[in-house]
Amino acid sequence: MSSSTAIEVAGVSRSFGEVHAVRHADFAAEAGRVTALIGPNGSGKTTLMLMLATLLRPDQGTIRIAGHDPVTDARAVRKVMGWMPDVLGSWASVTVRGALETTGRLYELSGAEARARAAELIDLVGLQALAEQPTRVLSRGQKQKLSLARALVHRPTVLLLDEPASGLDPAARVDLRLLVRRLADEGVAVLVSSHVLAELDEMADDAVYLEHGATASAERVERSRTAARQWRVRSTDSAALLRAIDAEGIPSAGTDHLGALVTVAGDDEAAAVLTRLVRAGVPVTSYGPAVGDLEHTFLDLSRGDADRVTASDEEVPS
Amino acid sequence: MTRYIDVLGALVLLELRQRIRSVAWVVLVSVVFVLVGVVTALLWASLSAFGGDEARASGVYSTIIFFVLLVGTLVTPAISGGAINGERDAGTLATTQVTLASAGQIVLAKFLAAWTVALTFLAASLPALAFTLIDGGVRGDTLAASLGVLVLELGVVAGIGVGLSGLITRPLFSVVTTYLVVAALSIGTLIAFGLGGLAFQSERTQTYIGIDYSVGGEFDPNTGLPEEIRCLEPDTYTYTQPRFDRVWGILAANPYVVLADAAPTSFTNDGYPQDLFGQIALGVRGAQIAPASEEVIDECQAALDGTYDELWQSQNPREVFESTVPSWFVGLLIHALLAAAALGGAVVRTRTPAGLLPKGSRVA
Repeated sequence: MSSSTAIEVAGVSRSFGEVHAVRHADFAAEAGRVTALIGPNGSGKTTLMLMLATLLRPDQGTIRIAGHDPVTDARAVRKVMGWMPDVLGSWASVTVRGALETTGRLYELSGAEARARAAELIDLVGLQALAEQPTRVLSRGQKQKLSLARALVHRPTVLLLDEPASGLDPAARVDLRLLVRRLADEGVAVLVSSHVLAELDEMADDAVYLEHGATASAERVERSRTAARQWRVRSTDSAALLRAIDAEGIPSAGTDHLGALVTVAGDDEAAAVLTRLVRAGVPVTSYGPAVGDLEHTFLDLSRGDADRVTASDEEVPS
Repeated sequence: MTRYIDVLGALVLLELRQRIRSVAWVVLVSVVFVLVGVVTALLWASLSAFGGDEARASGVYSTIIFFVLLVGTLVTPAISGGAINGERDAGTLATTQVTLASAGQIVLAKFLAAWTVALTFLAASLPALAFTLIDGGVRGDTLAASLGVLVLELGVVAGIGVGLSGLITRPLFSVVTTYLVVAALSIGTLIAFGLGGLAFQSERTQTYIGIDYSVGGEFDPNTGLPEEIRCLEPDTYTYTQPRFDRVWGILAANPYVVLADAAPTSFTNDGYPQDLFGQIALGVRGAQIAPASEEVIDECQAALDGTYDELWQSQNPREVFESTVPSWFVGLLIHALLAAAALGGAVVRTRTPAGLLPKGSRVA
């Protein structure tokens, strides 16, 4: 496992006519780590992915994928980079196995290597039952799996996943998470974009926030990350809990159907609040951030400091 | 090099798998098979007028070849005209572009696959063509040249179709444009030739010296001429004539003319072409001959010289062929350049990372 920089993006911009899809992107992703690319719809995530995937030329700035420039040496980048697009195109009348074998051949594998790799990948993503079916019969989630397998055909060391989880059922999402983690442990640099922030929370080591085509600076991210946020406390005795919050002078943010919400800033303060509640004799059954780290930072960044985060329905274990 | 061929082969195979498994292909091939069969049978039954069996065989064969060219040029744009932009719309082009396959390989593979599919339509008409050969009478070189040109012309249409599908964003629009190019070559050249010939008119002065039939006594029953020949005063007319010899080159770009001109023709004993190749080629060859601006028809002198019978005899077709130049290779070259330009443009447009994108198009 190395910790070298696998993806380096500096001052990258790209516009389509009048539309500035990416204004100024700066970030780095390390080998052996999963980096989340987060941003609202239309923030330029896919455009940025396309530039990393050697498909689109940046107007300005430089990109290095495993040390290679996608503009001047696309072939070197393609050898080490796997891309899973957000648009699910598949060769409709070709079988799942045929599609993977053909992809292998296009990565200049020999016929035998391509066949062996296709069989391996079908097992890996769990499409055994559909291996001999034409890809047009696949459901959205199954196409997503095929698309992931296709991105892995040539054992890339840099993996770009554009919305990989959309359309997957919960079990497949868990499989995806485990697979992505395993690839990262093997030293692959993974860049994942997704709207499902809770899920990214569980697999990402680092995060890049993209908004209106620009990446948020590290300082801004750090400020948002440590900004006061809501933690949810649950107790078997909610009356005692609310009394204790009041008595201890802990800043309350009200209650929701899952429990009481308190506002704390940073992990140290959160630990102190828990200690005080337990000392006050409250039977605490669960205590954790009301929203995930990424979601908290994302919402904080996109709403600005004035607007406070509201609780989401998702319970995230701390 | 072998790596290049390997990737190209994988791409061609992928294209063929997708096209030949499609219902559209099965239906079209069946339609072509039946249509060509029916036309052959009808021609065979109705064209006894062509004369002997040999003449009938070459007449039917040449007509069917033209029919196959017609059908082929009508079907090929439909199967090639959406090759690249259709994949771009479906989102499968980008997944190929991120592999080690180059834009050149992708476009070339699509062209080769489209050409192969077009040739399956030719293959579907082979049974009917073989049937016309049973009687003999079709020369080996005519057979080879006509089939060769047919194969190449289908390649040209496939190349233009695939090329335009790379250059034009919308599949429907590129298919229609391919049809328009085929129509421009097949019909447009004829119209341009006709109008062009009429636009370049020149004057022709004809002097006619006739025989005075009112004097000279009895008519000779053998020659129909009077016993004593007295000439009339020269009569001069001036009229304008179209100059097709200045625009015949336009016809060289017509695929039907290329086919007709390339196939060696069999002549009858009195010098007339036996098949449709020769008849069409004769029209183009004849157009090459510049009409004289001055002409003297001295009927009287001819009668005196005893060459009156030869005066009104025009050149026979075989002599026209021998006195003019073939143009099929020029036409074929023009077609090949058109297809190559379209394909080259498609390669440039398919190259990644993409710089400028046309409005409304997506990379993936």
